[in-house]
Amino acid sequence: MLFNSFAFLIFLPLFMIGYWSTRGRARLWVMFLASLVFYAWWDWRFLFLLLFSALVDYSLGLLLENEQDDAARHRLIVLSIVVNLGLLGFFKYFNFFADSAAQLSEALGLPVTWNTLQIVMPVGISFYVFKTMSYTIDVYRRTQRADHDLLRFATFVVFFPELVAGPIVRASRLLPQLSRDHRFDYERALSGLTLICAGYVRKVVVADSLAPLVDVRFAHPEAHSALSLLIGVYFYAFQIYCDFSGYSNIAIGLARILGFDFGINFDRPYFSRSFSQFWTRWHISLSSWLRDYLYIPLGGSRGGTLFTFRNVMITMLLGGLWHGARWTFVAWGGLHGLYLVSQRIIGPSYQRAVKSLRVPQAVSSAFLILLVFHLTCFGWVFFRAQSFRDAWQILSNIAAMQDMSFASVDNKILVLKGAMLIAGLLVVEGITLKPRDVSPARRLAFAASCIWILLLFGSFSGNTFIYFQF
Amino acid sequence: MREAKRFAVWFVVLAIVVIAGDRIGAFICSRVLLASQFRLSRIYRGGANADILVIGDSRGVHSFYAPAIETLTGRPALNLSCNSMSMPIAEALLADYLDRNAAPRMVIIETTCVVVNRGLVSELRTYAGLSKRLETLYAREHPRAAAAGRLFRLLPYDSEFFLRALMYLRRSDQDWINRNVIAPHLAASPRGRWSPRPHQENLDALGRLVPLLRARGIEVKLVIAPYHRSVMVDMNEITPGVTRSVPGARVMNYADAIEESRYFADGVHMNAEGSEVFLRMLCSDGVLQCHVEKPPQT
Repeated sequence: MLFNSFAFLIFLPLFMIGYWSTRGRARLWVMFLASLVFYAWWDWRFLFLLLFSALVDYSLGLLLENEQDDAARHRLIVLSIVVNLGLLGFFKYFNFFADSAAQLSEALGLPVTWNTLQIVMPVGISFYVFKTMSYTIDVYRRTQRADHDLLRFATFVVFFPELVAGPIVRASRLLPQLSRDHRFDYERALSGLTLICAGYVRKVVVADSLAPLVDVRFAHPEAHSALSLLIGVYFYAFQIYCDFSGYSNIAIGLARILGFDFGINFDRPYFSRSFSQFWTRWHISLSSWLRDYLYIPLGGSRGGTLFTFRNVMITMLLGGLWHGARWTFVAWGGLHGLYLVSQRIIGPSYQRAVKSLRVPQAVSSAFLILLVFHLTCFGWVFFRAQSFRDAWQILSNIAAMQDMSFASVDNKILVLKGAMLIAGLLVVEGITLKPRDVSPARRLAFAASCIWILLLFGSFSGNTFIYFQF
Repeated sequence: MREAKRFAVWFVVLAIVVIAGDRIGAFICSRVLLASQFRLSRIYRGGANADILVIGDSRGVHSFYAPAIETLTGRPALNLSCNSMSMPIAEALLADYLDRNAAPRMVIIETTCVVVNRGLVSELRTYAGLSKRLETLYAREHPRAAAAGRLFRLLPYDSEFFLRALMYLRRSDQDWINRNVIAPHLAASPRGRWSPRPHQENLDALGRLVPLLRARGIEVKLVIAPYHRSVMVDMNEITPGVTRSVPGARVMNYADAIEESRYFADGVHMNAEGSEVFLRMLCSDGVLQCHVEKPPQT
C-alpha cells in the first residue's frame, strides 16, 4: 500500500480507531495485523518471506542470548548474516551477479550462458533485512537483550510506517517503545500531523511534479540540449530528496501520532559543507547503520590513513550496491567514497588557505555548499542513469555546453513550475533551520497551507516512492 | 481522553479553515482565469470576435501563427489550438466560442488532430467550471477526479492550463510558437513510413462540428499542415476517413509542401519562420484571402 494511495486514506482511520481503542497485547495485535494488511496490499505471498525473516532472527536472538560458548555464538551470528544476506542476495542480486559473471566470462573469451530467473524483488526487503540483521548483531555483541515476546518482535519487524522504505529503526530504539502503551498526546499528534502534511507536499507536490521532467531527460538524453539535461540533473537531485525525505516525514509523523519516536532521517542535506556532513544528514538511518555495522567493524579510522581510506571505500561501494543491483549504483557509492577520501586529503589545506587569505566565513561556506551540491549532482547522474553509456551521454552533452539557451528546453512552463517549487522548498528549509516548539495555531496554519498547496500543485497520478525499489 | 478531545477540536478547526481557504482560493483563481489572455480564457470571457479561428493540436499551434495571419489577411485571427487537442474537445470549444462570441468568418481545422487520443481531457478540469460541455467530457473520462473537484474547488486549478493562464495574464498567448530549428542529426535521419490512423470518435465529432459551423454561415477549411521530410507520412487513412465523415468536405493536404529543414522545429512541427512561409502558400492558393501575396520561398 502506498502512503499516497486512496486505499491508505481508508486504511489509516480504521487503523487509528483500532489502535487507540485497544491496549497492551490487543494493541500489539492490531499493529501487527494492520502491518500485514499494509504489506499484503502489494503482494500477500511475500508475507511468508517477511515472517520467515522475523522468525529466524527471533529464534537466533534467543539462542545467541542463551549460548555462552563464543565459538557457538559466532556460528549463530554467521548463520543469521548468511540467512539475511542470502535472502537479499537471492531476491535482489541473483540476476545481477549472474549477468555480471556471464559478461566477465565472455570478456575473458569463455562465453557461458547463465540462466537468469524471473525474480520479483519483495518490496522493502533491503530495509527489513538490515533491521533484523542489526538486531541479531546487537544481541551477539550483548548491547541488546533478545526479545522473548514473538508478537512484539514480529511487530517490530513488520511495523508498517517504516516497513517498506525506512527509516531503518533499530531494535534498540523501537523494541522498548513497543513494550509500553502510549497514551494519546495532543502535542505529539499535532507535530506528527504537520510532519505528515510536510511529507505529502514534498512527495506529491515537489517530487512528483519533477518526476516526468526528469524521466523524459534520462530516457532520451540524446534528444535534449545541454541546458535541458542540466536542468534534468538538478531536478533529479531534488526529486529523489523530496521523494525519500517526504516518505520519511510521513513515516516519522505517523509514528509520532502513535506515540513512537523514530528520530530524523534527513536534515537539510543540500546545505552540507562537506561530504562527511552530507552523510550525517542524508538517509541518516542507513548511513549510521553502515557506520556501526560495516565501517567500524572493518576497523574504521583506527588504523593508518590508507587503512581508513580502504574502509571508507568498501563502506561506500557496498552502500552503493545496497541501493540496487546495477554497476551504476556501485559507481555512485564509489564516487562518494572518493569524495570522502579526497575531503580528508584536501580539507586541512583548504582550511589553512581560507584562514591565511582571510576569506569571510559566509563566502567559504557558500562555496563549500555549492561545491558539495554540484559534486552530489554529478553522482546522481550515475545513480539515475540506466547505464554507464547513458550517464556518459548526459555528462558529455552537458560538458560540451551545446545550446544553453532556454529556448531549447522542452516543457518550459513545467520547468518554471519545478524551479519555483524547489526555490520554495529551499526557502522553507532555510528559515526552519532548527525545529522549534510552535503553537497549535501556527501548526494549524502550516497544515492548512500544506493542504492548499497539495490541492493547487499536487500531482495525483499515484507515483510510487523511489526508495521502494531499493 | 481530554487530549483526544483537544485534538478533535483542533482537527475540526483545521477542516473548516481548509474548506474556507479552498473556496476563497478557488474564487480568486476563477477571477484570474477569466482575466487571462490565454486562448481558452478568451473564449469564456467573451468579446474575442475574431474573423479567422484556427483549431487543432500542437501542429495547429505551430503551423498557424496568428500574428502572421493577421498581417497577411488584415483580419483579426485567433488560434485556439492546444497540444494534444482531440476533435471532441475542439467541438466543445468551438461551440462554446459561438455561444459567447460573434461568429467568425472562417474556421481553419488542422485536420491531423483526428489522430489524437484523449490526452488533453485531463486538463479540461480548469475550464470545466465555465462550460457544461467541457465538464461533461471531463467527468466522463475522470469521474473520481471530477467528484473530488466538486469537494475541493482548488483542485481544478491544479493544471498546466492554469499555469498557462497565469503566464499569459498580462500578454497575449498568440505568440506561442516554436522558434528553434530541427537538429541536423534529426533532420538527416528519416523515420519509417507512417500512416496515422484517425479515431472514430474524432471523425464523429468532426462530422458534427463542420455542419454546425456551416449552418452559422462560417466557412470551414480542413487543412493538413506540412511535415518535415524525415517523417514520411501518408494520409491514406485520414483523408478518406474525413471525407466519409463530412460529406462534401475537401481536405487540403500540405503534408509534403515544404522541403527545407530550417522551417521546422522537429519532424512534425513547424517553427515561426516555417509557419509564415506556409501561410503565404495558403494565400497564394486562395485558402486565405490576403493583402500581401508573395510566392512561397521553397
